[in-house]
Amino acid sequence: MVVPLISIILLAPLAAFTIFALFGLAKRSFPRQDILSTAAMLVALGCSLYLLNETSDPKPLTVEWLSLGSITLSMGFYLDSVTVIMLIVVTLVSSLVHIFSIGYMHGDPRYPRFFAFLSLFSFSMLFLVVSDNLLGIYIGWELVGLCSYLLIGFWFEKDSAANACKKAFLTTRVGDVGMFIGMMMLFKQFDTLSLYGTDGIFEAVRTLEAGQIAWLSAAGILIFCGAVGKSAQVPLHTWLPDAMEGPTPVSALIHAATMVAAGVYLVARMFPILTPSSSLVIAYVGGITAIVAATIAIVRFDIKRVLAYSTVSQLGFMMLALGAGSYVAGLFHLTTHAFFKALLFLGSGSVIHAFHAMHAHHDEEHADDNEDEHDNHSLVHEHGSEIPPDQDMRNMGGLRRKMPFTFFTMLIATLSISGVPFVFSGFWSKDAILGGVLERAMGWNSVHHYILFGVVLLAAGITAFYMFRLIFMTFFGEPRNQEMHDMAHESPWVMVVPLLILAALSLPVVNKWWFKEGYINKPYQAHVHEPTHAQLRPDSKTGDTNFGFSNFGISEAEAAEEEGGHDTEHADDAHHGHGPAHTIAMVLSIIVAGLGILLSWLFYHKRRFTAESVATTFRPVYTLFWNKYYFDEFYNGVLVALTVWKSRLFAKFDLSIIDGIVNGVATITRAIFAAFIGFFDNRVIDGIVNRVAKVIWSVGGRVRRIQTGAIQTYLFVVLGGIVLIILIFRVL
Amino acid sequence: MSLQHYLVISSILFTLGIFAVLTRKNAISILMGIELILNSCNLNFVAFSRFVEPAKNIVGRDDYLLDGQIIAIFGIVLAAAEAAVFLAIILAIYREFGSIRPDEVDTLKG
Repeated sequence: MVVPLISIILLAPLAAFTIFALFGLAKRSFPRQDILSTAAMLVALGCSLYLLNETSDPKPLTVEWLSLGSITLSMGFYLDSVTVIMLIVVTLVSSLVHIFSIGYMHGDPRYPRFFAFLSLFSFSMLFLVVSDNLLGIYIGWELVGLCSYLLIGFWFEKDSAANACKKAFLTTRVGDVGMFIGMMMLFKQFDTLSLYGTDGIFEAVRTLEAGQIAWLSAAGILIFCGAVGKSAQVPLHTWLPDAMEGPTPVSALIHAATMVAAGVYLVARMFPILTPSSSLVIAYVGGITAIVAATIAIVRFDIKRVLAYSTVSQLGFMMLALGAGSYVAGLFHLTTHAFFKALLFLGSGSVIHAFHAMHAHHDEEHADDNEDEHDNHSLVHEHGSEIPPDQDMRNMGGLRRKMPFTFFTMLIATLSISGVPFVFSGFWSKDAILGGVLERAMGWNSVHHYILFGVVLLAAGITAFYMFRLIFMTFFGEPRNQEMHDMAHESPWVMVVPLLILAALSLPVVNKWWFKEGYINKPYQAHVHEPTHAQLRPDSKTGDTNFGFSNFGISEAEAAEEEGGHDTEHADDAHHGHGPAHTIAMVLSIIVAGLGILLSWLFYHKRRFTAESVATTFRPVYTLFWNKYYFDEFYNGVLVALTVWKSRLFAKFDLSIIDGIVNGVATITRAIFAAFIGFFDNRVIDGIVNRVAKVIWSVGGRVRRIQTGAIQTYLFVVLGGIVLIILIFRVL
Repeated sequence: MSLQHYLVISSILFTLGIFAVLTRKNAISILMGIELILNSCNLNFVAFSRFVEPAKNIVGRDDYLLDGQIIAIFGIVLAAAEAAVFLAIILAIYREFGSIRPDEVDTLKG
């Protein structure tokens, strides 16, 4: 039952894409590609939901794919609770984005193609999720990268979109090279790319000797490089904000909810091979990403870029959680983030849609400006100064009366991401991360993790600040641009309904049931020696629950009952629930979130302080944030310039030396060899041919006179011949 | 009348026919020459057949061979058919070229 269901989940979107590929181009306006794609996703969603309780057999299917001598590569499905949760998240968000796009993309000249690409993306992502081996994951990984490229560059007439998709593709490729090297290291060592089972990598890792741990750490970090690229971690995060050039539903699906979360999923999948040192690298990269992206987000004015940097920052949170060993917390945040960030993006899409008429108008005005930018071949797109008017928050304000549904749903998402306590899912997942990091710090007495906790706490506060800045600038206050405000309108129902569904999903009541006790278990890490529960917390037996969800219906008794069922030694960190670390973390996170929201309110609603005066006071810091820590400038100035310089050098080498040699050889050949050959050809070969032709010509000229064309002449000759023959016979 | 009489007549007819075919410029005249040749041949067949010694059959009576006469009839039929085809071709040529002189019909001449 499981295998056919997974097959349907994979094949439905693939079929939708294939139908487009086969018939869509032949018939220019293929009928209802949107309905086809959406229906395929809904079918996949139904099957995913059905799989929720079907995780008893983790390896339902494995087939031999390729045999090379003694090595066999296999392909197959792996199905555990994490897979199922990812399947549901991907299919659910994808379905809602499909529905939203029916409204948002309406009237686009490449409307059917958009849905076909979304289907292809969904297939690739689902394939990545269900693969049981690194090769399958890698195939899905590259396919989602391709779809990301296609969809960022969907409006490829715009130079900025064309540059952004190139940038996204190349930047992630940098990480993918690292990932591939890591995969090959594992393959060299274990002769397999299969992860699970008795001959899988995870089983083999257990038996590694202590001397090989450094090697394993290197492999882990290299594989993490892939996740750095895909999940836009520092220093490869620069592509994600530029990827906002794509249509907004794409930003919601690919660059907020699913593809960028694939990096987190990969790290979670590879959890058993992570050693303490590679975990620490992951934690630091995640922590730095969280704080860097959050600070950049404060000063952006483009609504989508704020959300993009927010996404980068939240992905940093997840990486940090996984690096700090909070396996469940990381995946939990992945899930909640997928819903509320998709909601935020779709909400911003709704706002942009409201200004769409203006957009067309402004495009005409700026047509001349764009002409001037054509000679800018720089790979890194500069975007700080040129925000499309319909995405500029400085043009918004007071929209809450115009767009009540959009406002209401985005407010819920903002409260969720800011970590407003108890009723919003973001609070629980963020608190699980903070608690997990602090617990690691206290349990292991690790200075690293105290630092990381401080960083991530600050990032959480900043998150609350910039998200409420977005809400206040967009929806509160007086309209700043009356002309645009007058044109704004609430979006059609086909766009509002997905917003409402996602808003419901941002409440913990909906999320909690798949995070019930023991549904996800942290995998065993062979080379990480966790402090025992006794060391950690003497009263470990009594406090176990899941993120304090007991408030919402799961009783302590129920939790304790399930607790007995599995090995407490390797039980999940999140089950430590109400330990001192988690209480401290919860209190601190509520305080920083409150402070962030309060400051935002004072700045952007009450106007007690103005952002401009603060920016003037801290000019160097502001400049640093405004210029995004000069990452783009660094890449442009160093890497791109270096590549161009190197290319010029090689071009010069080619032109002068290689071409010189070739031309020299050519000259010598022409002068000596070719001259002789030419003489021979002209005189001897041509001479013979011409003579033969001349002889044939003259003989033919004579012979053709016999053939007069007059039948009577022929007849006369024949008659003469006969008379001659008769005479000859007579004589003889 | 001996065989020679027939053969002389036949030779005269044949020579007249050949002369017409070789010298006439008009296709109809050529056709008439061909008819003369054919008829001289027919005359030869019939004459030779008439003067062949008859064989004796099993009851001892003369058994005349009529092969020559039959071939002559075939020849007449053939001449009629040939004349029909020839006239049809000439008609077509006349329509196409406006002339029935064979030396003027020289489209294939290089």
